[in-house]
Amino acid sequence: MFKKRLLMTTVALMVIVSMIAGCSGNNTAGNGAASSNAGKGGKEKVEITAWLTPQWKGVLDASEQGADYDSFLKYAAKKFATQYDKYDASVKVEVIAGDQRDQLLNVNLSSNTPPDVFFESVFPMGDYVHRGALVPLTDIVDDEAKKDIDQSFWDAVTFGKDVYFYPFQHNPGTLVYNADMFRAAGLEKFVGDENEIKTWTMDEYQQILDGLKNNLPKDKYANAYPMALYAVNNQGDTWNLAYLRMFGNKFFSSEGNIVLDDANGAKAAAWLKKLYDSGYTNPGAESVSSNDANAMFQNQQLGISFTNPILFSNMKTNMENGTSPKFDVRLANIPSESGDPLSFTYVVGASVFQSGNAKKVEVAKDFVKFFSTDPELVKSSKNGIPVRSSVAEELKGENPLFAAYDANSKYLFNFTGNVPGYSQLREVLYPELQALYLGQKTPEQMVKDYQTNGNKVIEQNKAGSVIYNK
Amino acid sequence: MKLRRNIYAKENMTGYLFILPQMLVFLLFLVYPIIEGIRLSMYRINYQSETFVGFDNYLTLISDPVFFKALFNTVIFVVFIVILTVGFALFVASAIFDKNARYVSFIRGSYYIPVMVSMVVMSMVWSFLLNPANGLISYFARDMGLGTVNLLGNPKTVMPVIIFVTFATNVGQAIILYIAAMIGVPKDLFEAAEVDGASRWQVILKILIPSVKPTTVYITIINIIAVLKIFVVIQLLTGGGPNNASVTLMYYLYNNAFKYNQLGVASAVGVIMFIITLLLSVPQLKSMLQEK
Repeated sequence: MFKKRLLMTTVALMVIVSMIAGCSGNNTAGNGAASSNAGKGGKEKVEITAWLTPQWKGVLDASEQGADYDSFLKYAAKKFATQYDKYDASVKVEVIAGDQRDQLLNVNLSSNTPPDVFFESVFPMGDYVHRGALVPLTDIVDDEAKKDIDQSFWDAVTFGKDVYFYPFQHNPGTLVYNADMFRAAGLEKFVGDENEIKTWTMDEYQQILDGLKNNLPKDKYANAYPMALYAVNNQGDTWNLAYLRMFGNKFFSSEGNIVLDDANGAKAAAWLKKLYDSGYTNPGAESVSSNDANAMFQNQQLGISFTNPILFSNMKTNMENGTSPKFDVRLANIPSESGDPLSFTYVVGASVFQSGNAKKVEVAKDFVKFFSTDPELVKSSKNGIPVRSSVAEELKGENPLFAAYDANSKYLFNFTGNVPGYSQLREVLYPELQALYLGQKTPEQMVKDYQTNGNKVIEQNKAGSVIYNK
Repeated sequence: MKLRRNIYAKENMTGYLFILPQMLVFLLFLVYPIIEGIRLSMYRINYQSETFVGFDNYLTLISDPVFFKALFNTVIFVVFIVILTVGFALFVASAIFDKNARYVSFIRGSYYIPVMVSMVVMSMVWSFLLNPANGLISYFARDMGLGTVNLLGNPKTVMPVIIFVTFATNVGQAIILYIAAMIGVPKDLFEAAEVDGASRWQVILKILIPSVKPTTVYITIINIIAVLKIFVVIQLLTGGGPNNASVTLMYYLYNNAFKYNQLGVASAVGVIMFIITLLLSVPQLKSMLQEK
């Protein structure tokens, strides 16, 4: 009886242990194991994943039937799979929220299951190059692409000697304003043309803010504020960084360190604080996100807010669809004391993660090259601003703002400074802005602390950077 | 004698074999992560390599004022949420435990609903109410001419708001446990108290509260551990702000691990949290075991 019981117990245990062993057996292979079996036409089946943050809806246009953020990559994946002859390849497309990008990527990198392709603005992805998580794409860039895409874009995606992102489009950041609200407040003379990016001087900007604050008819625009300020998290922080440069501060030294702690930096911080305290902005900036500000602008609760071509195009589509109130919406530059506008752009493109599986990396690189060069697919870059001269030239009649954005390009500043740890650096800014708005720190103290804490982050990340320690 | 020892050993062996699967799971999913966490806390980690740095990660923590802010906030959360939960649950349970069964079920169910709803959903509902840009409370406050109400953006009000939100979401669990414990208290004690002419307050103080002491210890330990790990409500309502006024150890750990990619520093925070939990739980467990 006892022997029988012991035997049964042992057998049961062996089953459990073998189940555990079976479950954990593939762990070391990580991403690699899933892909190797026979597929269509006797070719080896390789499945890759492609992630993107919400860029634009539809393949070419948000007005398409069933348009969504993943439409373009899904369409590209289908087209790629049809013509690809090396393997039986399939691409699984997933959209992730922009503010969850780093969390999701870090979790997946830690568990050795990163996406194979990631389509995103280049600026927050530089860290992954420094950390050795991305594979170089230099070998898939040919001379034709080099000629068609301006060198400034290649510079933005080159780390050390290698290209790590295939540039697709770019999104210049500007201000956006409600021209109807301007007219209602008697500010017609400051309204630019429909296809112009208006530049105001600092004096003019103050007049606009005064006009919007004091002369806006309360019956038509109840609870409306002149401009947007937000600092609850790192969303839309590039505009906050631009405001801090308004009075001529250089922000980064040639060694890649923050140099905000000077008279110009403190003046910019004091300007922000003054606007906030004087009621020129939405209340509660310390706990408002840029998404909240965007929603407020679309509900006509803000006269001036932030935008880029994708947000601008989505906003216009929402107005046409009737999902948001319709009003006259136009673009303006971020003003500066020097009179020259402050202009920046987000280069958007695809990168390939090092999954540890050579075949997946190969297919991922081929997929990136395919949709970044295919003559039909590259036209989708019109949703932002195309990086390819050929596409911009072909479609310039379709979007008159292409010329306006192009005219702004001479004012571009490099907001990341190409420093390692830029994502972490973003986390340092908003708590300082919160302290400024709450009055816990003076403008001088705020810029000083941001510089100290920011430089600590940069120094820490330089030590771990594969580019700096090659 | 030898034969008896052999039989005894064989019988024990069967018992050990039965608990072996649980032990394996325990070692794999609890003990191993703890040891790995302690090991990682002494390394600087990037995607390609791990470098031994000794206690550097702990030194980094000690030199970071945000860490101490997180530690202080976590202690405040633990103290207030645990006291509020135990106090309020005792109050509700002792007020209703001897009432009509349907009434008790209704109260129990009402307080338990928020426990069943995901903390994420609860946080989103509170966010919808409290957001200064488009929240319902802010809207009504503006409409009534009270100006801007920004409870989450004020360092003085953000902690009480989070304490209230967490307490309101979790208190149902404690109420259920207390009611169950109070129903189990021998009826003759209450009858004796009635004969002696004890007031309800005296019954609660002298009979009920001492009788449910093991439940109080259990609820206290469980809540201390739960509140030490407070995260979702911080992530969704405040992001640790304004200016780190509501940052907690768990949120600080999360930021380091998944936003800053400082896995070594995050592991060091995890080790410190583990030690704090251990220190807080051991005396309570000890008193519980001694009583048995």
